[in-house]
Amino acid sequence: MLKYNFKYELKQLLRNRWIQLLSVLLLLLFGFATYNGLQKIEEREKVITAAKEETLRNDESMVMLLDSLDRGMEISVSPWRYPNNPMVVGNYYPRLAAMPSHNFTFIATGQSDMYSHYKKPAVSRSGFMEDYTEMTSPIQLLFGSFDLAFVIVYLLPLLIIAFSYDILSAEKESGSLRLLAAQPIRIENWVLQKLGLRFFWLSVLVILAMLVIFFIFGLNPFVSIKLLLGLIGITIVYMLFWFAVAFLVNVWVGSSARNAVSLLGFWIFFVLLIPSVLNQLGSSLYPMPSRALMINQIRTLQADATKRQDEILDNYLRDHPEYAINDSTQQRTFWHSYFASENLVRQELAPVLENYDLQLEKQQEWISYFKWISPAIITQESITKMAGTSTSDYGNFRKQVEGFSETWRNHFVPYLYNNRNFTKADVVKLPQFEYMALRPKFLSAFTILGIAVIFLALGLFIAIKNRNHLVLSNA
Amino acid sequence: MILKTFIKEIKELSRESRVRLSLLIVLLLLGVAVFISSRQYQQVNTQYETATQSERANWDNQGEKNPHSAAHYGTYAFKPKYPLSLLDQGVDKYTGTSVFLEAHARNEARFSAAADQTGLARFGDLTPDFILLFLIPLLIILLGYNSFTKEREMGTLTLLKSQGISGWRWMLGKWMALFVPIFLIAFLLFLIAGFVLSGLQDFGAFSWKALFAMFAVYIVFYAVFINIVLIISASVKKSGISLVSALGIWILACLVVPKMATNIAQAKYPYPTAQEFAANILADKEKGLDGHNPWSEESKKLEKEMLEKYEVDSISQLPFNFDGYRMQKGEEHEAMVYFKHYNYLKEQYAKQTEVYQSMAAISPFLPARFLSMSIAHTDYETHWNFNDAAEQYRINTQKFLNDHFAENSKFGDWSWQADADFWKKLPAFKYEPSNLKQTLSQNNGNIVLLGGWLVLSFGILLFVVKIK
Amino acid sequence: MITTQNLTKKYGDHLALNKLNLTVAEGNIYCLLGANGAGKTTTINLLLGFVQPTSGSASINGIDVTTNSREAKKYLAYIPENLMLYPNLSAMENLDYFSGIAGKSLSKTQLKAFLAEAGLQNNAFEKRIATFSKGMRQKVGISIALAKDAKVLLLDEPTPGLDPSASNEFGLLLQRLKEKGVATLMATHDIFRAREVATHIGIMKDGQLKQQFVASEISLGDLENAYLKTMDYKNALP
Repeated sequence: MLKYNFKYELKQLLRNRWIQLLSVLLLLLFGFATYNGLQKIEEREKVITAAKEETLRNDESMVMLLDSLDRGMEISVSPWRYPNNPMVVGNYYPRLAAMPSHNFTFIATGQSDMYSHYKKPAVSRSGFMEDYTEMTSPIQLLFGSFDLAFVIVYLLPLLIIAFSYDILSAEKESGSLRLLAAQPIRIENWVLQKLGLRFFWLSVLVILAMLVIFFIFGLNPFVSIKLLLGLIGITIVYMLFWFAVAFLVNVWVGSSARNAVSLLGFWIFFVLLIPSVLNQLGSSLYPMPSRALMINQIRTLQADATKRQDEILDNYLRDHPEYAINDSTQQRTFWHSYFASENLVRQELAPVLENYDLQLEKQQEWISYFKWISPAIITQESITKMAGTSTSDYGNFRKQVEGFSETWRNHFVPYLYNNRNFTKADVVKLPQFEYMALRPKFLSAFTILGIAVIFLALGLFIAIKNRNHLVLSNA
Repeated sequence: MILKTFIKEIKELSRESRVRLSLLIVLLLLGVAVFISSRQYQQVNTQYETATQSERANWDNQGEKNPHSAAHYGTYAFKPKYPLSLLDQGVDKYTGTSVFLEAHARNEARFSAAADQTGLARFGDLTPDFILLFLIPLLIILLGYNSFTKEREMGTLTLLKSQGISGWRWMLGKWMALFVPIFLIAFLLFLIAGFVLSGLQDFGAFSWKALFAMFAVYIVFYAVFINIVLIISASVKKSGISLVSALGIWILACLVVPKMATNIAQAKYPYPTAQEFAANILADKEKGLDGHNPWSEESKKLEKEMLEKYEVDSISQLPFNFDGYRMQKGEEHEAMVYFKHYNYLKEQYAKQTEVYQSMAAISPFLPARFLSMSIAHTDYETHWNFNDAAEQYRINTQKFLNDHFAENSKFGDWSWQADADFWKKLPAFKYEPSNLKQTLSQNNGNIVLLGGWLVLSFGILLFVVKIK
Repeated sequence: MITTQNLTKKYGDHLALNKLNLTVAEGNIYCLLGANGAGKTTTINLLLGFVQPTSGSASINGIDVTTNSREAKKYLAYIPENLMLYPNLSAMENLDYFSGIAGKSLSKTQLKAFLAEAGLQNNAFEKRIATFSKGMRQKVGISIALAKDAKVLLLDEPTPGLDPSASNEFGLLLQRLKEKGVATLMATHDIFRAREVATHIGIMKDGQLKQQFVASEISLGDLENAYLKTMDYKNALP
């Protein structure tokens, strides 16, 4: 049976122009999405490169200034911008902490339109109040971006629905099903084969369309073969899931119109409702403490620290006797007390700020418990993780920048309290930032596969139980 | 004739299980959405009240302090939630809610809700606007896709023709049969929302008029969708094709076009990144007067001007503290720089808005979405206005502080401190969103577009039915 | 050969078929006459295994259809009331597909031979079904039965919608199958056609077989009277 189904299903799909229509649609959708994705990447890289160049230029001028100062020459900058002051280097000659894109970043906008891709942590800027969000029109955030992830998660299921909602009911309505059922075959097998073949052809078209589009845009997807396979893998199992749903609906529901309505209902349920309900439940179960109240808290602490800054500095120096010993000048500037009090505020605020990360982690955890309810969530998450634009990627970047920020600050603390000048020789010792990307995991595809199998099994069970019903029931 | 058709259609609809089921689901979801939103609304506004009061207390109780220290200490402006956000959350989730107002710098509003949620937040929320804008059009499709095709399929079309029906009356009957249930659902929702809102305490700016305007927007939007669904149903042969085409249009209008519009808008009129923006501002700031730098060229120039104006030899002879005056002048220069750069942003935003409006030609969803957000004061424009008001307040505050410093202290006396009571004299920050009339006149373009859709779709529908 | 023994089907309280005992031997054409709801289609559905009987049994070529319907279908061909094939496939392709999934792969020459045997014109072989008339589609249906080498043929209202010449041609086709030894069961309203093609005729009402005749032993007028009487038709001729 398979051989004949294969041969004639393909013939029919070609003759009623399904294959042609799907190819054109897929090429258009993938093409536009890839174009948008690449444009975003280009923009991102351009900005990072510009920032890099600026850092290099600044460093060159810093070295020149230091050189001049060493030789006792006069320089053209204001005295409080002399780079032999370590605080000047710490503030005005920051390192670039960038989160570069990679080969597959274009596949999902994810959170990349919301967060910054580079930071220049300075010693004086309070790391805990650093803003990592990007200047984007909120309308853009609201509507979202037309990226490959959108095409795969939202539109592909709709194509599948249009492609398969009436696989059984059309035959029933035209009457050819009775003739088929009079043949010595299992009708549920026949439906399964027919859907399987459509799944096969759509998969082939999807993979081909993706590769063609990637090549057209001059990408070589085989460079990151693992990611390419991951992307194709998750797309295919996600499609399989939708075909399984279509199978269930085909053998369960009945008339074409009702099938279409039910499938659409499933689509709204899995793609729109479950994610929003999970998100809302997550954020009401683990609510973020009010940011406005956090500001109040920080402000009160800061006000208090400012009032007691002399006392704080004394305490700080008592805790760090090494500075008192090594420093012969005992000179105290604004920066000395600033660092000491900021240090204190930072320590006292740590638990408050941690709470935010903790709540977010709890929300994430809650979602990961329940995300299997909707393969759309898993797919979206996997694709954004492959792209390196998921919430956890930006969280990771933020953590690394915060870490580097501290390294950077700590690098200058001994200079400050020892009242040591910054020299040309110290330039090479400056810490550098290197972004370590998270490694995407590919296991989630198996979860979807599991769900798809459950749907298939359920469909098969219903089909066998109602085998006769499949043929006879009228629309 | 119209009434007969109407009654017959309503009877047919009410006897279909798919109609009853989908109506039930939509009503249930609406109930949940309104409940969640009203809870959230109350919660946010309580937090807003607490934060505003406590921040003001921080400001008032600074004690004796140099006014410029106070300027650096700064204060916060918080953005409240407006009553109609209960129905349309708009872009609220993506805009910051608190602006830090300090000396020398205009800060962006920070801490948007979306940044404090997981990536799932980007899928959207179960809010009334989601149901009003996405699900009810879908409901219209489910109710109406076979309105005309079924007559053809059952053969009743020829029978009706032989009875000598008039095309437009027949159509109007069918139109009413779709419109009345949808109208009732929306009416019920808005009525409940109105009572919930007028029942809440501290509901501030809530007006029934605005609620009615919003209701009207949705009703027009639904009428357009009904027209589209009927046009399709009248022009294709099979119910299945009608259903699939109507769904295709729904996907295109509500999901694809808005996304396409953002991509086009951002590609054509990009915003600078936060870092670039800050760097550009810094560069411009350095070109002018720095209030903290008495040695700069600009500062010397100002000094000379003042000496000439007051005909004195040294700045200590001026009748005010030149430090304070210079501070204020520096502040004014910086404010100008911010004004210039934010104006550039605004221009980009205005051009992006044009892109959205031109895309509205292929999607009635866009003007409806923008109008609804505007009336609810959850749109981007309101956010801009709030930020501008905060900036104006910041500028006024700086002037208030610098003037006090200049008028009451001696030149060079940085240790001078203002009275502990002085801070209370600063007026509180107030922001009133534009009223309904202003909102509507700002949205002329969207109103025209939505109206255009209504007229055009009605015209096509009449034309399509007539030639049958 | 078709046999049913006390074949009964109940839908809830409604007795759709009541103790049907029927035998159609090889080379016989049995016509079931009756109004809508008399139980003709139920009988066919039972024989096809589409529904399970409430009691009684039925067999095709000695194979019980209630327990082994798939095996029975190997010997059975069926032409539904409104035979719809795949409109985008040609006659050849439809025949190839249906015999293929039934487990018979045929060469092109064989396919052509079966279509010709079923009376389809040569120039229609490669044309798409979408352009075919009902008569032509039925010929393809017959060719499927021929290709399958079916021992039993079930026909559900084959004649309405056929023009007189196509109807006549269809009758001749049945005769040819009869000569091959096929047992045919045909449900119909058409008394005239039944009298003409059948070897045996049964009249059904309310799920029961009321009367049976050997076609050659009864005139058309008597058959019509018997039919109307069974139906309780008041104005039947005496």
